[in-house]
Formats: sequence, C-alpha cells, structure tokens
Amino acid sequence: MSKATLDGKAIALDDAYRQAASILSGAKFPLVAGLGADVPGARAAILLAERLRGAFDHLASRDLLADLDVKRSFGMFTTTANEARVRADVVILVGPGLTKQWPGMLERLALEQAPVHGTHAGKPRQVIWLGPDAEEAKAVPGARIIPATLEEISGVLAVWRARVGGRRVNLEAAKLELVDGLAQTLKDAKFGCFVWASAVGLDALAIEMMQALVTDLNVTTRFTGLHIGARAGAAGVTQASGWMTGFPPRTGFGRGYPEHDPWRFEASRLIDSGEADAAMWISAFDGEAPSWTRSDIPLITLAPAGAAPARGLFIEVGQPGVTHDAVLMAQETGGMTLRTATAPSDAPTVAQVIDAIMAQVSEVSPC
Amino acid sequence: MTAFTFTLRQEPPQRVDLSALTPDRLAGKSLADIEKIEIGTTRASIKVGDLFKIAQGDLKTLRYEGGSSRFDLVGAKLLPGFSLHVDGDVGLQLGRLAKGGKITVAGSAGAYAASGNEGAHIEIKGDACELLAAPLAGELAGMSGGRVVVRGKAGARAGDRLRRGILIIEGDAGEDLGSRLIAGTIIALGKTAGRVGYLNKRGSLVLAKHPKLSATYLDCGPQELTFARLLARSLKADSAAAASLLSVKLRRFGGDTAVYGKGEILTPL
Repeated sequence: MSKATLDGKAIALDDAYRQAASILSGAKFPLVAGLGADVPGARAAILLAERLRGAFDHLASRDLLADLDVKRSFGMFTTTANEARVRADVVILVGPGLTKQWPGMLERLALEQAPVHGTHAGKPRQVIWLGPDAEEAKAVPGARIIPATLEEISGVLAVWRARVGGRRVNLEAAKLELVDGLAQTLKDAKFGCFVWASAVGLDALAIEMMQALVTDLNVTTRFTGLHIGARAGAAGVTQASGWMTGFPPRTGFGRGYPEHDPWRFEASRLIDSGEADAAMWISAFDGEAPSWTRSDIPLITLAPAGAAPARGLFIEVGQPGVTHDAVLMAQETGGMTLRTATAPSDAPTVAQVIDAIMAQVSEVSPC
Repeated sequence: MTAFTFTLRQEPPQRVDLSALTPDRLAGKSLADIEKIEIGTTRASIKVGDLFKIAQGDLKTLRYEGGSSRFDLVGAKLLPGFSLHVDGDVGLQLGRLAKGGKITVAGSAGAYAASGNEGAHIEIKGDACELLAAPLAGELAGMSGGRVVVRGKAGARAGDRLRRGILIIEGDAGEDLGSRLIAGTIIALGKTAGRVGYLNKRGSLVLAKHPKLSATYLDCGPQELTFARLLARSLKADSAAAASLLSVKLRRFGGDTAVYGKGEILTPL
C-alpha cells in the first residue's frame, strides 16, 4: 500500500491528491520538474503542465540538451549499439566514466569480437579510448588508450579533425606523428563509430566538433556515432515531449501554447528566481532530490519509498521497470521497450498518481 | 519633442514580453489601446497599464524609466530610424532580430542579448549574460549585422555562430568567446577564458590580452594591417579603447584549422 506524507506526517492518499491539486491549481506558474519517469509517466506529467499552464523540465536536461543542441543546430550521425557491434571496425570511445553511464556497454558492444558485416567482416576491431578513467582503461583489452582530462578532450578532437582534413596544427613533432597515425586509422576505417555520453561532462561544443569530424570522414568512408542517453529515463521523456509539444523538456505553457526556451524554463532557475510559485518534483527511478536551493515554494514530491523529503507533500510511487512494468527507451536497441517488473509491488505508477491529481484539477480558471 | 516614455510602477511579478512595445507597433494606437496590450507570459494576465505609467511623446525615441531583469524582448525587430533607451536592466533577447535603429541599456542585459540582430546599434552599459549575439536553441546562425558594445563583462559563449557585424566587449569575456564563429568581428578588451574561437570558420577575434590558444591556431607573425587602422577609425565613436587596440601592430593567429583555418585571432605583440 502506498503512502503519502505532509511535512513528514502521514496523511490519507485521497487527501494528498486533493492537496496536490489545490496547490498546483492555486499557483500562477507551477513547475512540473524532475520528470524521472517512464513514458506514460512523462505523458501524464506533460499533460498536467499543459492543463495548469505551467512549465516542465527534466532533471538531466543539461545532458540531453547538449546532444540535442548539436542535433538541431548542426546535425548528427547516430546509430544503434547493435549496428555498431556488427559493423564497426574502428570504435572510438570518448571520455571517462562511460561504463558507469551505461553499465551494459561493453557486453552489448562486444568490442573484443570482430565485426560480422561488410568487406571488413572478420578482421579484428580496433578500439581507441580517448580520456578514460584510470580503472576503466583496462576494461577493453587491446584498446589504444589516449590519456586526456575531460577539459582536454575538445582540444584533442579539434586536432584530430584538423589532421584528418590535412590542415596544420601547432604541435611538436613527436605528438604530431601520433596524431597523424590516429588520423590515418580514422580515414582507413570502413565503418567507424564514436561512442560518447554527454552526462560525463562533454558539452555541446565538444560534441559538435566530434560530429563535424564524423561529417568530414563521411566524405570518403562510413562513420557514425553512438550516444549514451542521460539518466532517469531522459531519452524516453524527450521522445514523449517531442511528440506531445514539438519540443524537448524546458518547455512552458504559460501563454496557453508550448514555448521552448532552455534558459527560461530551467527548473532550478524558475524556483530560485521565484518565477514558479509551486512545484511538482518527479523522480521515480531513484528519488534523486531537486537541485534548487529555495525552500519556501510549495513542493509536491513523487518518489519511491524512503525518498520522502522532510518538507512538503510526498506521494510514494513505484519504480519503473522494478515495481511495475514500464515503457522506457532502451539504450541497447535505441527504441522503446517494455521492461517487465523485477520486483512487482502495488505502489502506483507516476501516471496513476498524476491522473488521480488531475481528476481533482478542474479546468484552470484564468487568474 | 520628448521621448515616448514608459515609467515602471513596480518590479514585474513575472517575466514580461515587451516585443509589442516598439515604435512601429505602437504607431497609430491610442493611450487606452496601448495600456490594454497583454505582456504577461503566464496565465496571470498583466497589461502594459498595470506595469507602466505612459507619457506620450515622439515615437521616434522610446524610453523606459526603470528596468528589470524580467523585461524580455525589449526592442525586438526594431526598425531603422528609431531609438530606444532603457534606464535600468533588461532580460532575455534584447534587440532580438532588430533590423536597425539604436538601443541603449543603462544597466545589464540578460541572456541572448542581440540574438539574431540584423543591423541595430546596441549599447549595454552594464554586463551581458551568456550567449550574447548567439542564435536561440536550434537556430543555425547568430547575429547577422549591426554593432554591439558591452561596457561591462559578457557571459559564456558570447558571439556564438556570429555571421556578420561587430561585437565589442570592454570588460572580461566569459568562457568560450566566439565559439562556432561563422564570420564577423569580435573585439574583447578584458580577459578571456576557455576555448577561445572554438570551431571558428572565418571570423576575426581581436583580443587585448593574449589568450590560451589551442593547437589549431597557427602563428602568422606580426602584421601591418591597413584594414585594422580603417576599422579603428570607424570604431572610435563607440569605443576609444577598441580603436586604440586596433591602431597598434598586431600578431595574427590563423585558425581554427579544425574547420577551415580561415578565421583569425589578433593580439597586440
């Protein structure tokens, strides 16, 4: 049986739904944030934001927008993990902590095996890892490790791109020879693939440089990229947001129609500036807490058991794919998938809780 | 005649969209009509008359007495021949897609100031937030003309995807100045940080302080650039310091060779 608390004290679920509805419909510009949910949860949350004429943001927007900004202002070559496994003869892993971002990465990519399709089928795969963590470096036997700090990665990618294009760089002879060898490996690839995760701290500029290099390489060969999605269901939520509003998270309905602005609708800024006057925080995967600092804005938290904050209204929800079956974007296939519950319980889903709250929100009357 | 003046009554309770308040859009409207214009951005309505006391005057010059960091889209799509002055701060997207005219802000400006500017002369006496003159999310190009002078500091990624026009930053510039420059000129008199001119196609960066350069910028040696002296003369009225920077002998670094290497960073010897 799921639980609800108000400022730490237990209250009845029906009261909690009524309270939540009254907080949200009484607000001038409510925020639906976190959005750590499966696809039905995200759908319900975005519908709620629209009904309330509020704004919504995802807790990993920084990471998902780093990739999306490149996609929408430059372009992006991407493929699925399976395609990379069966075709790629050169794989370049970019950045530290990739195996933490996607624990199943090495198993899925099977980097030690040879590609099975194309003229290069059966020839050993070359793996290059730019700037891995110290322990991670050993995870792929035979990988060529290029040490670099996170801050150095964008500079390294720039140098690679210059040398692939045959343009000069300001490097000492020994380093230049290494870079040129690497540039030759990239050019000789039959099907190359970069693997990266914006969540480790790569920003849109570094990703744009990498994708521009991919574009350059595609003049003479096949090259693509595989990005590891951000945490808390970000990829699925972005898809749902896209088909519902035409925009990714950080979108507001203040004027009755969706407006997307990554600056204006950033959740922490909306709360800390006082522009949003009530918030719903959804974090169903792990109960991650919001990053804003202000504590005087009415808050409704939807999180799993044990993640109740000391302040505000808390309604327990189940964990997608753990306590209930959930539709989520799968990193392995690059598509939506149904994850069956691993430890089913009767805790309600985010969508069920939001639907119950929404039933108490009448059509919002103009202030 | 005196300027058409909007005097701020109190700090706006929410972000306000002031794009409707430019001279061409106010022309022919009565005072009562103007007071009824909706400027709110949430479901709580807010009208011009709720926020401002209006003193009618010559619409060629428009004044805001008092500003706020919640004033968005001030002077958006401004047309040539008109001028606008804000005695205070402004919010997002100052002078967004302005075709021409002159905008002065006595205070500081929020993010995306001069975004998509096509020809306006914009002066910000205080600081500018991040993404000065940059494109909005998903757009392909930033400012495409005009001139922007920031007397204070600028935030990260000033001049991102600049296509044409001149950007002068008299104070320190934030991280990644001139990222993804397409063309145009950026002059920065203070310190710079991060990846200066990253992904620069063919833009010019003139920097008073020698930046940390990436390996994709190549030293082309000291240059006697006749054009720099001509540019200096044309900048004198806007920024004496920028003009004097361009009057000295400059060392040229060509780059970003990751792209084409047709851009440049110029610094004093």
